[in-house]
Amino acid sequence: METIGPVRVEVIRNALVAAAEEMSLTIWRTSRSTVVREILDYSTAVFDSRGQNIAQSARIPVHLNSMSACLETLLSAHFPLDGWQDGDIVITNDPYSGGQHLPDIMTFRPVFAGETRIGFVGTLCHHVDVGGGAAGSYYAGAREIFQEGIRIPPLKLAERGVVNEAILKMVLANVRQPDETSGDLQAQIAALGIGVGAVQRIIHRYGTPDLMQAMQAILEGSERMMRAAIASLPDRTAHFVELVDDDGQTEGPIRLSVRIERQGDGIVIDFDGSSPQVQGPVNNTRAMTCSAVYYAVLAALGAEIPANSGCYRPITVRVPPGSVVDAQFPAPVTGRMVVNHRIATAVFGALAQLIPARIPAAYYAISYVYALATVEATGRRRVYFDIEVGGWGGHAGGDGASALSCGLHNNTNAPIEMVEARYPVTFTHYGLIPDSGGDGQHRGGLGLSRAFRLDADNGSLSTNFERFRHPPYGLAGGKPGSLSRTTITRADGTSISLASKVSGIAMQRGDVLTIETSGGGGWGDPAERAEEARSRDLAEGYVTR
Amino acid sequence: MTTSVRIAVDIGGTFTDIEVLDGATGLVHQFKTPSTPRDPSVGLIEGIRQASRKFGFDTAHIEQILHGTTIATNAVLERKLPDGAVLTTAGFEDVLAIGRHGRRDVYAITLSPPPPLIPRRHAFGVVERVRADGSVETALDEASVRAAAARIREAGASAVAVCFLHAYANPAHERRAGAILAEELPGVAISLSSDISLEIREYERLSTTVLNALLMPVVSVYAASLESRLREADLTRQIYLVQSNGGVSGLAKAAREPARLLLSGPSGGAAAARRLAAALDEPNLIAVDMGGTSFDISVVHQGAVATVNEGEIDGLPVRLPMVEMRTIGAGGGSIAWVDNGGRLRIGPHSAGALPGPACYGRGGLELTVTDANLILGRLDAKAFMGGAMTLDRDKAVAAAAPLARALGLSVEEVAAGVIAVINSNLSTAIRLSLFEKGLDPDDFALLSFGGAGGVHACEVADDLGVNRVIFPEHASTLSAWGILWSDITHDLTTTDIGPLEGAGEKLARHAARMTAEAERLFAEDGTPEAARELRFSLDLRYAGQAFDLPVPVDGADFSPSALAEIARRFHAVHRQRFSYDEPHTAVEMVALRLAAIGRLPKPVPSPGTSRPAGTAPMMRPVHVDGRVQDVAVFDRGGLGDQVARGPAIVSETYTSSYIPPGWNAAIASSGALIARRLA
Repeated sequence: METIGPVRVEVIRNALVAAAEEMSLTIWRTSRSTVVREILDYSTAVFDSRGQNIAQSARIPVHLNSMSACLETLLSAHFPLDGWQDGDIVITNDPYSGGQHLPDIMTFRPVFAGETRIGFVGTLCHHVDVGGGAAGSYYAGAREIFQEGIRIPPLKLAERGVVNEAILKMVLANVRQPDETSGDLQAQIAALGIGVGAVQRIIHRYGTPDLMQAMQAILEGSERMMRAAIASLPDRTAHFVELVDDDGQTEGPIRLSVRIERQGDGIVIDFDGSSPQVQGPVNNTRAMTCSAVYYAVLAALGAEIPANSGCYRPITVRVPPGSVVDAQFPAPVTGRMVVNHRIATAVFGALAQLIPARIPAAYYAISYVYALATVEATGRRRVYFDIEVGGWGGHAGGDGASALSCGLHNNTNAPIEMVEARYPVTFTHYGLIPDSGGDGQHRGGLGLSRAFRLDADNGSLSTNFERFRHPPYGLAGGKPGSLSRTTITRADGTSISLASKVSGIAMQRGDVLTIETSGGGGWGDPAERAEEARSRDLAEGYVTR
Repeated sequence: MTTSVRIAVDIGGTFTDIEVLDGATGLVHQFKTPSTPRDPSVGLIEGIRQASRKFGFDTAHIEQILHGTTIATNAVLERKLPDGAVLTTAGFEDVLAIGRHGRRDVYAITLSPPPPLIPRRHAFGVVERVRADGSVETALDEASVRAAAARIREAGASAVAVCFLHAYANPAHERRAGAILAEELPGVAISLSSDISLEIREYERLSTTVLNALLMPVVSVYAASLESRLREADLTRQIYLVQSNGGVSGLAKAAREPARLLLSGPSGGAAAARRLAAALDEPNLIAVDMGGTSFDISVVHQGAVATVNEGEIDGLPVRLPMVEMRTIGAGGGSIAWVDNGGRLRIGPHSAGALPGPACYGRGGLELTVTDANLILGRLDAKAFMGGAMTLDRDKAVAAAAPLARALGLSVEEVAAGVIAVINSNLSTAIRLSLFEKGLDPDDFALLSFGGAGGVHACEVADDLGVNRVIFPEHASTLSAWGILWSDITHDLTTTDIGPLEGAGEKLARHAARMTAEAERLFAEDGTPEAARELRFSLDLRYAGQAFDLPVPVDGADFSPSALAEIARRFHAVHRQRFSYDEPHTAVEMVALRLAAIGRLPKPVPSPGTSRPAGTAPMMRPVHVDGRVQDVAVFDRGGLGDQVARGPAIVSETYTSSYIPPGWNAAIASSGALIARRLA
């Protein structure tokens, strides 16, 4: 077979990325929930016939690195390649069949060139609710996955273009907001159709052999770049331990131990010595752990490399079965980001021993997810759901960014005016927290404080927070960032401090909830910090002393 | 026939383009003169004088000067802005510093965003609070405003942005605070969020207000200097500045609301596209403008230019109506390179005007898109810029050599590769731009202008499945030509969130108030009654949705039957854009908008002169699909009634068009060159 030239590869790559973008726009255009439309919590991608991710609409790192793992599991354990017919759609959200956590529903559809299955298109959407013990399906009290919502094993949602309505009915009967879930599922189905059409346009234009060769060339190109980046690492091992506060149910800390060893142009990342899986829902499956590792390695070594499955080939991840980084059925996992972010900071911490000038100090490393449920006089239930962020770590090039969505997630904040227009709350404060960034030659970014008063008679609060005991680390002599905390100040002026992970905390009218997030760690010896930087920090109020 | 003269001036970084519509003859003239960046008004006046001598019109007959300027845009991009301060609701002083959290570069590890336009120490809170429904929770504490004013004075700020929570619902506190500031801080520019952008979402409204406040001193100084220079030059005519919304405004309003000028760059091109769409009977046009560094896409659908209510400049949100534009960093100066994975990449770096492409011989050593076109013979080394410049093919070949080695290709194969890759970048950007609006390339023709686009347009159309490409006359000054036909456009907004059903009386009240405001603005502009036009529209969504869609309203009719018709239209628009509708779900209104248009008088242009007979083309060797062949090169002025059968090249002073095999091109009666793909 004649090999195709680099120009054709590049042109086909463009077209494949556009196919993923068209799918992404389709979901944005046709979905109904605000989780998808305002927070943009969804992703799309194109895969080869082995399930390798070729092109993706870059949005949320933790999604993108995980879809390929899911499809590979489907192909190896559930639906072998030759069992997929044209127009079939497979759906799953099951963490124990390659999925992430239950709210993330993935769908895949094969692309045919004549009789040949040449690849797949796929989508992932975070759905607003999939049932379980709490609205929004973040149930801090879960001890088994059965309490976290409906589990959809890998099923054919459509066969030869005909959707199996029974599956839809079964799913929708088990979720709190069936209209939105139904709308978002329809969006996912529509996007697959658009993706298939876009890839078939490529086949029509350039032919099947060129497309198939281009897909392999794209993977090999990224693999080559990744291997070159890894080969430049110093030839020694590094070891780092991160301590996570707790699982919200039992005493912590949860230990994440990572050892990194370069082997030629490959890298082995071993989690031996990490804590066993825990009772509460912060466990990670192997696929989740891999996703965080891939993000960290890619960000540290190859931010310029086109992200696809080729990047992952030189990375070997070893996890002890039954540990918090390779949890076994039926461990609960919904709050997985508590540990997932910290897998990334553990890998960063180890890499910092090898390439200190290129790694930032730790960031806040938790998606501060909270939900406040209220009941209106009419009996209508409302759930105000939001995600907070904190500060990024200082780095060799400068101070860390304050109040920015960092690391494994990437979401926007909900405008205060939009929240107040829709929910019975009034904000009293939203600002940066002075002194929250770790001191250092390059200061950590600041965390933020968000406070609001409940204006309904009763509310019920859930939070999935972290960093109440173990702050973001500093590097190269820099100091750690601040701790996080949650406080409720009652109308009578008394206040109580909450634990990091709670559900069903009662709030009354007039109570003010204050959320304070962590600033990033500092980088470099504080004695080396420039005087101008110190006086500017003081003048701007980033520090108070 | 009137003797009045109307002049459009588009000031760019390098050239000031002037279009003159002479009412005495009905002729439209074009003229280019070097820009004078230190004081653009110098080049403007000098250009008008030269044009008057060259085309023989009397400057005393000039009635209007319509002026596109980048003065506001450049002040922001170069951060040449005065020291400012922000006044917010106490407790929310950091909204500007926090922004919306999202990051663009997903894998970036050294995250150090640029500092906000106003430092944190200059953000002051005042005691007051308004609720989402406009009711007052805490009355304005005037002493806290005066205390803040003292600190602003101390800080030496010369511009203040005032943005309180929910001011879109009740601007009373902002107005009172503004009045106190004006009293306490004479000579300081003050901008209220409720004046410039009456829209929900505090960060976007604040960002817009900050930009507006900081630009007020900049644009006021320019407007004053322009007026005095014009007076000295005895050119005391009506001056209008081009806004981002595709219309123009008077100088007084521009100085008050300069943020409306920020994204005005595309307005001229979009206005030209709209006028051409009507003239050519092509209601659906993809207008693409490819210059040295960027490729701008705007869309005319059913005769109207697509607009949006928010854009951004340098990452800063601007919540004001503007022409919708997708821009990618791909132009003639874009640099081709091979990354360490062996990929042939183009851009985002550009050789710019200096050093420029390697073939300019000004020291550029890297291969650009223009170099690739020269290597393939699509550009003429001797006739570039009307012969004002000679291109050096050897330097282009030398720049391509390292890429050829890295990729294992010949120099010509590298050049063809650069063209193939850039064409796929361009067509992908266009496809996505249409796709996000629910539109299909099959229903469109491509309108190509800008100096660098002509050699790519037909192949890009091929990629898209578009079968007509229009190359307008005077493509290199098209933006000024578009400005020539602009009208005054004021955008007014009232944000009011609630069910559409039963909102008739409330909407009628809003409409009456907005109409009165429009009348006041019309009076300020001196727009006669007969030239005034009011266009209302409603931003609507299904209850609970996060995004809304604009739906036009007939007149100012908000009767129950009119509201039912508006809802019906909303379902239809929703179906087109989002592929589904929910006729049984309640429709929610978000904002009532008014575009108040003051039609400016325009002399009538005369129909084009008859076409001269064609002159025979030259022949030149060109690489076509991997083979060198002799290709006909027509001078556009000499094409006459001939048909340029692809492969062919049509050359003009500032640009060339490549007609590939399978395409024919001919001059239409409108004067435009139209290329068609053979069936």
